[in-house]
Amino acid sequence: MWKKIRKYIIPLSICLILISTAVAGCAEEEPAPAPAPAPSPAPEPEPEPAPAPEPEPEPEPAGPTKNSIVIGASRPLSGPNAPIGDAAFGPIMQMWQERVNAEGGIYVEEYGKKLPVEYIIYDDATDVGTMVRLTEKLILEDEVDILFSACGTAFISAQAPVANKYGMVLLTAEGGATIMRDALYGLPYVFISLPFSDHYQLPVFAEMAAAKGAKTAYIITIADLHGVEYGGVAAIEFPKYGIEVIANKSVPITYTDFSLLVKDAKAADPDLFCVFAYPPIIMPVTGEMMAIGFNPPAVLMGPGANFGFYGISFGGDPMTINGVTCFAAANEKTSPEFAQLYADLEALVGWPNLDWWGHPYYAPLVQIWQEAIEVTGTLDQDVLRDYIASNQFDTILGNTYFEMFGEFGGGLMVKDTHPGEIGQWQDGTVEIVGGGDWPGVVLTSDWVYPKPDWPTP
Amino acid sequence: MNITRFTSKGFLIPGLISLVILIALVTLPFYGSLYNVIMVTSILMYIILTVSWVLFSGPTGYMSLATAAFFGIGIYASAIFLPNTGAILPLLVVVVIGGLVSSLVALGVGALTLRLRGIYFAIFTFGLVVLILELGNWWEHTVTHTRGRFVMLVDNDVIFYIMLAIFVLLMLTTYLIRRSKFGLAMRSIGENEEAAAHIGVNVTMVKVITFAISAFFMGAAGVIWATKLTYVDPYVAFNPLFSFMPVLMAIFGGMGQIYGPVIGAVIFAYLQEKLQTEFPYYYMLIFGFVLVAAILYLPDGLIGLIQKLWRLIRRWRKGGAAKQDANT
Repeated sequence: MWKKIRKYIIPLSICLILISTAVAGCAEEEPAPAPAPAPSPAPEPEPEPAPAPEPEPEPEPAGPTKNSIVIGASRPLSGPNAPIGDAAFGPIMQMWQERVNAEGGIYVEEYGKKLPVEYIIYDDATDVGTMVRLTEKLILEDEVDILFSACGTAFISAQAPVANKYGMVLLTAEGGATIMRDALYGLPYVFISLPFSDHYQLPVFAEMAAAKGAKTAYIITIADLHGVEYGGVAAIEFPKYGIEVIANKSVPITYTDFSLLVKDAKAADPDLFCVFAYPPIIMPVTGEMMAIGFNPPAVLMGPGANFGFYGISFGGDPMTINGVTCFAAANEKTSPEFAQLYADLEALVGWPNLDWWGHPYYAPLVQIWQEAIEVTGTLDQDVLRDYIASNQFDTILGNTYFEMFGEFGGGLMVKDTHPGEIGQWQDGTVEIVGGGDWPGVVLTSDWVYPKPDWPTP
Repeated sequence: MNITRFTSKGFLIPGLISLVILIALVTLPFYGSLYNVIMVTSILMYIILTVSWVLFSGPTGYMSLATAAFFGIGIYASAIFLPNTGAILPLLVVVVIGGLVSSLVALGVGALTLRLRGIYFAIFTFGLVVLILELGNWWEHTVTHTRGRFVMLVDNDVIFYIMLAIFVLLMLTTYLIRRSKFGLAMRSIGENEEAAAHIGVNVTMVKVITFAISAFFMGAAGVIWATKLTYVDPYVAFNPLFSFMPVLMAIFGGMGQIYGPVIGAVIFAYLQEKLQTEFPYYYMLIFGFVLVAAILYLPDGLIGLIQKLWRLIRRWRKGGAAKQDANT
């Protein structure tokens, strides 16, 4: 009997599962929007009257009908980028949706009413090919109104031409690179928000380190676009300030044992030890440094060291990593608006998911989207693109706008919006210790150089 | 020419079905949505990788995990010759170049390593993927100082038709090889390599040539796939997933018949797409479950199951007919 079950019933069941999945997929022409990263309150049935800047809504809209603004995103719900995605743009998406929907939605004049925000979020499994395919699905099949950014420099580099091809405005979140900036001349629908390597993180850091008397740097980079980008820019910027790069080593993404590499760095006795890699690399490198007592005057790590979860990864006490330098823009002390933002985010997603580099730029992105839709009164991508390209926005960063690349190019958020570039873990939190020489920079503490010793176990 | 061979039931029905499918595919951009065209392109890519893999590994029994290396070489050929700043060579020429370079690498690697057997060959071929990936990383990092490469955009219909053309060529090649003495030699190698050598088969040459032919199609598919990705770096190009997916798809579909890997790739790719989009938080779990169950309980793939069921039905019908005869 069991033989027959094994021979026929189980294989048949598998086939039935396959067929039913396929049939279900075919039958569902308009897939139901997936939930946002976390449950959000249901939109109010009767929207409140529109706030001040909005025109009076028509009682009976004559235009097309629509019940929600559908926003699509291909995000890393699994794979190596998932921790970054969950703690970076993810919390901002979640918070914004909850706020907007609690107010009844965004007023869109062409529909004559407030529309709540709905998300369709797919898992790209941290694979560029999957992300590209899912982005095309969001645009072509799901026909989302707005496209949100993928996560990671390589990912937004691949997503930008695709979004541009279909005329979808893309305000990028996690990631940025010189290669993308160069490509902006041909990407009119793409706007880069996050500061990156020579815009202006590494020049600022090099100047800070040189002022403290640093002479040598040992660099480890992850062997992908982020690592090549930062390793390459450091090799250009550091010598400009008299800092010799004594090693610039690239490690594959799959590398797990850093003991030899950290020992090699310790033997080289550098003034600056830079690790331009993601959490799966910077975490074990930090642990290895603590284990062998490698404590150079400055340790710069990122991305990853700019998140709360990095602080509690070494025994649960963020004091253990005091002195580690990271990329950061703003914190609770930068302004009352930022204090509110971080308080709200902490209440929503917890302290470990705070990001002192990305959140100060992702929060303005959703503000820009909202203002563009409310003022233009449409979801038309060309209209929205032109509005974003030609206007300045009053966001949490202050006056925020994009430098446009050529007559038919995309935009890069100008450096004047950056309140800071470099942060440092001090007394269990990230302080902003380095920024450019433009107005609007708010440093919350002095850079501690040399860094304090690792705590003794 | 033996006309009866081509008009017999055994050739006519599969031939007609193939023709109908081909017509449906060729006309797809006229009746299907743009996203359907994109999805079918993606499925065709997986079919090409799977059938190419089966072309070599199926009959010879050599488990190659080098698919990602050959596919990646094609992707990189595209990144070099079709940059977003303007194509250096025409698209079709690059498709051929990508295929030929992959073939040449396969010839070289095959000549050196196809004396290895079993697990050693599988490990070596996977090592080849990692080696080329790291070599690419080192080259980009220290020699060219390239920070990723953008590939020029190509119209979705053009990508679809070129992928379809590669698929049709591959199916024809597979069909002809399977029916030729060359295919027989490959099968004899799979059955017993020593015996094949004793009866005069030049086993190394047969293996190396087949390896190179299968690599050609993988490389050619890589070229056209890169124009969909639009951004390429070594990790994107030499993604080890492309070494394992064709193996799973082939096992899933069944390797006994020419259409087994095709069916496996189609269902697998479609299932992946549907699960990924309908159940974004659980699809890996469901996918893993289906995969484990399929490998445990469908040792001959879906085709094996269908054949088993067909035999059961025939036996049941025969039994019924015999009973009826006995009653009369």
